[in-house]
Amino acid sequence: MEQAVFYLFAAILLFAATMVITVRNPVQAALFLVLAFFNAAVLWVLVGAEFLGIALVVVYVGAVMVLFLFVVMMLDITAAPMREGFARYLPVGILVAVLMVLQLGVVILSDDVALVGGLIPEPAADADNIRAIGTVLYTVYVYPFEIAAVILLVAIVAAITLTLRRRQGTKHQNIEEQLSANKANRLRVLKMEAEPRQGGEGAERQ
Amino acid sequence: MRSLREYVRSFLLVELLQGLRVTGRHLFKRSVTLEFPEEVAPKSPRFRGLHALRRYPNGEERCIACKLCEAVCPALAITIDSHQRADGTRRTTRYEIDLFKCIYCGFCEESCPVDSIVETRIDWHLMESRDQRIIGKERLLEIGDQYEAQIAADRAADAPYR
Amino acid sequence: MFETLFWTFSKIWAVLIPLFIGVAYFTYFERRVIGHMQDRRGPNRVGYKGLLQPFADALKLLFKEITVPTHANRVLFLLAPALSIGPAVAVWAVIPFADGWVVADINAGLLYILAMTSLGVYGIIVAGWASNSKYALLGTLRASAQVVSYEIAMGFALVGVLMAAGTMNLSGIVEAQAGPFWNWFWLPLLPLFLVYWISGVAETNRAPFDVAEGESEIVAGFHVEYSGMAFAVFFLAEYANMILICVIAAIMFLGGWYSPFHGLPVLGPALDWVPGIVWLLLKACFFAFCYLWFRATFPRYRYDQIMRLGWKVLIPVTVVWLVVLTVLIYAGVGPWF
Repeated sequence: MEQAVFYLFAAILLFAATMVITVRNPVQAALFLVLAFFNAAVLWVLVGAEFLGIALVVVYVGAVMVLFLFVVMMLDITAAPMREGFARYLPVGILVAVLMVLQLGVVILSDDVALVGGLIPEPAADADNIRAIGTVLYTVYVYPFEIAAVILLVAIVAAITLTLRRRQGTKHQNIEEQLSANKANRLRVLKMEAEPRQGGEGAERQ
Repeated sequence: MRSLREYVRSFLLVELLQGLRVTGRHLFKRSVTLEFPEEVAPKSPRFRGLHALRRYPNGEERCIACKLCEAVCPALAITIDSHQRADGTRRTTRYEIDLFKCIYCGFCEESCPVDSIVETRIDWHLMESRDQRIIGKERLLEIGDQYEAQIAADRAADAPYR
Repeated sequence: MFETLFWTFSKIWAVLIPLFIGVAYFTYFERRVIGHMQDRRGPNRVGYKGLLQPFADALKLLFKEITVPTHANRVLFLLAPALSIGPAVAVWAVIPFADGWVVADINAGLLYILAMTSLGVYGIIVAGWASNSKYALLGTLRASAQVVSYEIAMGFALVGVLMAAGTMNLSGIVEAQAGPFWNWFWLPLLPLFLVYWISGVAETNRAPFDVAEGESEIVAGFHVEYSGMAFAVFFLAEYANMILICVIAAIMFLGGWYSPFHGLPVLGPALDWVPGIVWLLLKACFFAFCYLWFRATFPRYRYDQIMRLGWKVLIPVTVVWLVVLTVLIYAGVGPWF
């Protein structure tokens, strides 16, 4: 049963991954990538890594791909120019592909990495791997974890500074100022004495 | 700059709660909706609805085909043809109002020297095809006969102000 | 094995059918409540006091033609409603309605909820893009930016619950709040509770954060081009999500299925006969009412103000309160920790 489910989702994953690079429409490609991520998450959950699986959905499917789609939807990409550089980039592409296959082969086939033996590694007896990951993350790997966090923070700040430019002469709304506006500083009620009607056109017409 | 007090107020959501209180109170107020076909809003005697042609109490139609209403109508909705009857009086052979053109301004009623053309309180009339938009003399007199009591009462109620 | 499958399916239907009926009557109560708040009456013609109105609406939508715009991406256009209803329904798997009344009692329940609610945005994105309409695309951009932004504030607010309860299992979170109403998490987590609620309203694209629909400017946002059942499915997903936000609020902050007087000397045992699901639904109904109340009260936010509120107000508030919460937990304050 578990094997059947595994093969089903693995097949969908491979199909989606293939479609990502073959389909013409960039939006469809991005949506297939979403499908691929989702199936990868399911496979992770299947081997007992539920935290990683759900985190993959939250982070990649829920946030990263949404922003990705955002950008792709805004661009008007036609199919023809995309195929232009195909021949030129082919050698580099093949090189990268061969390299990746070699790396994967080394990892899978080497004796040091105990991946060979079963299709799906046995899930840990203690199914609560969120607690386990948390414990390891904040004790053994606390420094790498914190450093990674700081690097990400720096990256965020850098990204914001790159896009932050103040042009001269543009008009902006100051939301703080708008929100703090109240009746007292916008409206002035004047008390006026009633004035007697002046003679003239208006008076006669009455 | 916003003062500290305003800052605290914005975090305590004071203005939002005030707004919620208003709508919350209205939840328990009586609704002002009228259930239309069963309940109808009261109308003024001056209401200007569907037109009618009146008759004198002896059954003679009032209209003398002076065509003042046709002349005054700003929407050119009224068409009148006239002839001389055997007794020598002038009467209409055709009196048509195009209800699509009519803007219910009431000028026809104001201009009528014999109080013949009037606008009744009927505001709920409908037609099923476009050709029914023109109502002729027979139909107008019919409406007048049917609602004469109310028409007369409405004129009497408004008479002191004219 | 088939026996477990059968039972799982029955449980799923036992959740879904009341959910769909709940959605139908939520739309009815929305129209009635907002009507009365505006001194109107709302629908009262179909059936006794208009109680059959939702079925009349459903029938009407069922018989309407589903039109696909020219140059729309047909497959994605028809896939989008399914993409939006799927996650909206799937979340209910981990919701505990009473002690032990849950379809799938998984440990990462809270994370699962976050994952599923974040998936819901794809229905909107795909619908808006596949419609080949500028209004739909504008609505989509607004909706997805809003959902992605408020997800962060909402996630942080739920992190506070997670810290307070010490577990991600929803039943565990409710059990951590056992006791009378001052034992529930809303009190120590009050700012997070408010942030959660505000971002929950924004997350479901409801008034006053409904710029994604913006009927006065972009006519209906991402579902302008949808008609008939395809539109009804979007409608269903939106309302199912709203009810979900209400139920999660009740579970996370208002002690789920516990009665407000649980564990008190006299009132506690006196109310023991009331099943837990009644309390949960009562609490959820209060939030559902608040949804309608907000819609009747607040004018729509401007788009930049929505973004400002999410990023510059709600997220800082949650971060600050998480620090305060750490201190509270460390000091073991009150009846909560």
